[in-house]
Amino acid sequence: MKDNSWFDKWFENSSRTFAARSSRRSFLARLGVAMAGAAALPLLPVARLGRVEAAEAAPGQAWNDPKACDYWAYCATDGWLCTACGGTSSKCPPGTELSPIAWVGTCKNPGDGKSYVVAYHDCCGKSQCEYAYCNRNEGDLPRYRAQRSNAITWCFGGVSSTYNCTISRLMSVAK
Amino acid sequence: MAFFGAWASADAPAEAPAPQYGAAMNYQLHCEGCHKADGSGQPGYIPALRDNVARFLAVPAGRAYLARVPGTSQSLLNDRERAEVLNWIVKTFDPQHLRADFAPYTEAELAHWRTDPISQASVERARVLALIGAPATTETKPR
Repeated sequence: MKDNSWFDKWFENSSRTFAARSSRRSFLARLGVAMAGAAALPLLPVARLGRVEAAEAAPGQAWNDPKACDYWAYCATDGWLCTACGGTSSKCPPGTELSPIAWVGTCKNPGDGKSYVVAYHDCCGKSQCEYAYCNRNEGDLPRYRAQRSNAITWCFGGVSSTYNCTISRLMSVAK
Repeated sequence: MAFFGAWASADAPAEAPAPQYGAAMNYQLHCEGCHKADGSGQPGYIPALRDNVARFLAVPAGRAYLARVPGTSQSLLNDRERAEVLNWIVKTFDPQHLRADFAPYTEAELAHWRTDPISQASVERARVLALIGAPATTETKPR
């Protein structure tokens, strides 16, 4: 306790001096700002990190609905969903062709907690089917990394170059 | 200390380390989109690996070719993983052309060839196939 006596005196003196030349309301206001700032400062990066984790971990409300962009297997889709155009989540609409080339990534299925290998194919041969746009970018890389970019049309390589919509084909469990 | 402790935790990596996969899974994730699950490729566009790829190992330039082609040299996999995938590819898709004395690709070998990628793959492929004495293939659609 002896070691703290100088601190007690100093704090008492400074507090009385401070109280003498400032209102309690302003003191409390400043104290509140300081405490809030001190609390928020170290939390900023942590909070941001937390949001990233939450975004990856928390499934969307319609995670099990293939007609919704929230559907778990669309986690890196960038395009128009074929489910709104006569196709399914993994089959092209009638009258279109499956792109022979795809880009491949993984999506986590909240139903069983496993990650699956997903091949994103485009369906080609009809004009763009603009009913349900979906743009999610888990694992997506810029276009200069073409093999891992979802912003590229895969309607080439022996099929019509006209893009219709995008599907997600489940290939295997990622392990 | 809570304050500084919180700051220290803020330095934690923002992303979890990428999962470590074996060669078969890395083939799926990094090669299969074009070369297909069975290695058949796309006639006229994407070279077939099946019943084809191990032929290139018959000459040093061919062995180097497989390590230097864009799909290998531009891959996001590291050198060890690329060596593993290449070894898996030649054994899985073309065992009949794989010689008994095949020395597996090494991490150092892939690191070496990463510095010398091929820009004109079809030209180099034709040159290697001529060295091997194999018939030229039309894996790239004539323009």
